[in-house]
Amino acid sequence: MTTKFIGKRVKRNEDPRLLTGQAQFVDDVEIPGMLHAAFLRSDYAHARLLSIDVSEARKRAGVVAVFTAEDMGDDWQPGPPLVSPPPTVKDVIFHSRRQVPLVKDKVRHAGEAIAVVIAESRYIAEDAVEDILVEFEPLEAVIDLEKGLEAGSPLVHDDLESNLAAHLFQKKGDYEAAREKADLVIARRIVVDRGAAAAMENRGIVTDWDKKSQHLTVWDTTQAPIPIRNGLVARLGLSEHKVRVIAPFIGGGFGPKMMMFYPEEMLIPWVSMKLNRPIKWIEDRRENFYATTQERGQIHDVEIALSKDGHILGLKDIFLHDTGAYDPYGLTTPLNTQCHVMGPYDIKNFTSEVSVVFTNKTLVTPVRGAGRPQGIYIIERLLDIAARELGIDLIAIRKRNLIPPDAFPYEHEIIDQAFAPLVLDSGNYWPVMEKALEMVGYDQFIEYEQPRLRAEGKYVGIGVIPFLESTGVGPYEGARVTVEASGKINVATGIGTQGQGHFTSFAQIVAEQLGVAVCDVRIVTGDTAEFHWGTGTFASRGAVVAGNAIHASASIVRQKVLKLASKILKTPEEELELEDGLVRVIDIPHKSISLGELALLANPLRGAVQPGTEPGLEATAYFGPQYGATAFGTHAMILEIDPETMMLEIKRYITVEDCGTVLNPLILEGQIHGGVSMGIGNAYYEKLHFDENGQLLNASFADYLIPSATELPRIEVGHVETQSPLNELGAKGVGEAGTLPVPALFAQAIENALNNRDLEILETPLSPNRLYELLRPNEEKSR
Amino acid sequence: MKLGGEYTFDGPREDVWELVRDPAVLATCLPGTQSVQKIGDNQYEGEIKVHIGPIVGVFAGRLFVTNEVPPESCTLTVEGKGKVGFLKGIGNIDMIDCGDRKTLMKYTGEVQIGGKIASVGQRLFDTVSKNMIKQGLDKLNEILHERGAIG
Repeated sequence: MTTKFIGKRVKRNEDPRLLTGQAQFVDDVEIPGMLHAAFLRSDYAHARLLSIDVSEARKRAGVVAVFTAEDMGDDWQPGPPLVSPPPTVKDVIFHSRRQVPLVKDKVRHAGEAIAVVIAESRYIAEDAVEDILVEFEPLEAVIDLEKGLEAGSPLVHDDLESNLAAHLFQKKGDYEAAREKADLVIARRIVVDRGAAAAMENRGIVTDWDKKSQHLTVWDTTQAPIPIRNGLVARLGLSEHKVRVIAPFIGGGFGPKMMMFYPEEMLIPWVSMKLNRPIKWIEDRRENFYATTQERGQIHDVEIALSKDGHILGLKDIFLHDTGAYDPYGLTTPLNTQCHVMGPYDIKNFTSEVSVVFTNKTLVTPVRGAGRPQGIYIIERLLDIAARELGIDLIAIRKRNLIPPDAFPYEHEIIDQAFAPLVLDSGNYWPVMEKALEMVGYDQFIEYEQPRLRAEGKYVGIGVIPFLESTGVGPYEGARVTVEASGKINVATGIGTQGQGHFTSFAQIVAEQLGVAVCDVRIVTGDTAEFHWGTGTFASRGAVVAGNAIHASASIVRQKVLKLASKILKTPEEELELEDGLVRVIDIPHKSISLGELALLANPLRGAVQPGTEPGLEATAYFGPQYGATAFGTHAMILEIDPETMMLEIKRYITVEDCGTVLNPLILEGQIHGGVSMGIGNAYYEKLHFDENGQLLNASFADYLIPSATELPRIEVGHVETQSPLNELGAKGVGEAGTLPVPALFAQAIENALNNRDLEILETPLSPNRLYELLRPNEEKSR
Repeated sequence: MKLGGEYTFDGPREDVWELVRDPAVLATCLPGTQSVQKIGDNQYEGEIKVHIGPIVGVFAGRLFVTNEVPPESCTLTVEGKGKVGFLKGIGNIDMIDCGDRKTLMKYTGEVQIGGKIASVGQRLFDTVSKNMIKQGLDKLNEILHERGAIG
């Protein structure tokens, strides 16, 4: 298909506003009479709340109100469940325990909110928070996943028999039979620890309740404005048309802003209505470390069975998943792990059993990757170990097991986050891997450069990791496309935007259909007053699901445009083209009419129309895929390690992505660059350190290290396109792809660089310090 | 978090013991101490102002002395709470008579911290607490010298 706009390197429509400070973020919203909120949060991770005295805080000048759980009366209710457990898996155990607006009886994680102060300024509110006296009875905290499941462990939720939040078993084929036939069985314990999403912008909410019109407006840093509106309507007893939720420009989502409802998200609108005043709450960075959801903590006891030529016969994975103090997000994350632990490999026999554990830590919900990086880490570590034990090349063992191109659609059989057996829609994996190998110069490096550099005493290593990613999941999104009288196009869709370039890639899709300049397509995202059907921005689905809804709407508008223009220009539709904002007769270019004029004619003020005529050049359409589109990619890296400090220098970093049709390579590369930098943090810098009492010991950017420009390499991006048959655009998602394989890639490249047979990396995140510790017993052994 | 160390006082063990067990003396020694009161047998209550990097806060707390074997050893339990967090510690003190008017104090302990002092201050907490102990013991030794001079 030849395209005019799709697939082109169009500069981003939104950047001039963002770069000149003209874009509105939640904290930019200022309303006359607006009050400010600050929260009292628990210092303890687990404690009974004995008493709370807010009388001094209420007396402080400038304080308007202080609310505790008790003050909320019957309006105090746990948040609604966001995702239910998969009803399609047999014998699933799931105990739903949802976060509360303010702690009533027991604190379940450090940073849980106990009271909210509303004052004339944030300054006063913060001071008043310190006036509140709380008496706690500290309780032993549940931190370790295994100890948490032991009999006699303290309980996060006293009404449950244990800290088991959920249990889920899935299988295909017969692992035990496969194991019997295996030449090699490798069993390992692999541990993945927790990190923060650390978006540049913290969460924030501004609410404005207009009592006279009974209308509530909420500006919220959410990835899901429509579900937030629907939830507020249900809780506050208002009409859907009386609640408008706006998710304006947002400085990064990465998953935690998909969580709903955060306690503050329900509480601040409630308080606004109680006090009949606008209220602003902006989360500070320390709150973000405690009160915004996190991810990745899992312990896997995993076993892989192979033939001696390196074919995977079966895989068995028994793992624990840390859900934190509550589990509103259901089983999405561990289900993703189960679906990705088989990697892009054709594995016929598989058993997976997960136990989800409540702990006295911040809630776990998806963070960019959402369970996928854990699965990928595990299968890739096992293949590295298998290759070593069988004496097979690292690339050869992978190539041997890849799902072949003629196997698509591939029945993966394991139930995924959409509650249906995962089907891999399309793919051609080896050419992607091959391209990454070429780009990084794999053979050249192994044969010549590495021996030469090693002879110079340098610790250089190479890594190559393939991965797949389920993306673009349902249920649906919608969009409305309108040709305005100005000739410009207005598009409204329900998803929110947090930096993905939607204002450009969506505009390209519309421009392609309507023949206008990309900058003449105005996109509105995340405003329920503009479009009020949809779910949200998550699971690498914006471009796939909302993108195809926009494409469908624009196609209908194109038909309307052609039909009307045909009548006016007295020319058959087939002889017309849409170019430069005009509809032209192909053979007589001066015979034309502009889209703006057509839009006016489509909305007559007088006269009669044919019965059944719809006004305007406008259409609303929806898209819901049968199942998600599965993308594929390969990352390759060359690094050098300083053997004294264990600091790394990344010499080359290659990614090759097959995310189907590329809408805009510039935006795609930006997504990949951001994803890789997050992955590098996950792999070698970022780890949240909780002590045995549930205290987070690195809750600031002085201690929690995010890779900065000095740690990040130049990232080279290659593309291969295998279009998805599931949608008109042939698109697959890519928002999370950059992050997924990075920890596995680091482990492989580090082992390769250090070339120490005793070093077997079975954990992530690593750090220079941790790598040094892992090497120490080996050093002692060799002495 | 574990704490531990040794300190040699320039005085006989009985004198050192007497000083350590005097709340009025302790109040003047430990940097930042705003008050110490005896509230019962081997129980004290007080307030101390602590600076840990960017965090400054007053802790109100109690100190319990148990397992007392004068002038040889005792166990100290501290519980403190303030706007910037909480701390809970338990420690053992041993006094060894080295003769020649010298006393060696050995101390070991474990401290739990929570809240802002843990989340933001933990990296500095170790250094700050060691410094505070060192300053406090130096001051005690000074008082010992002064008393010795008078006596």
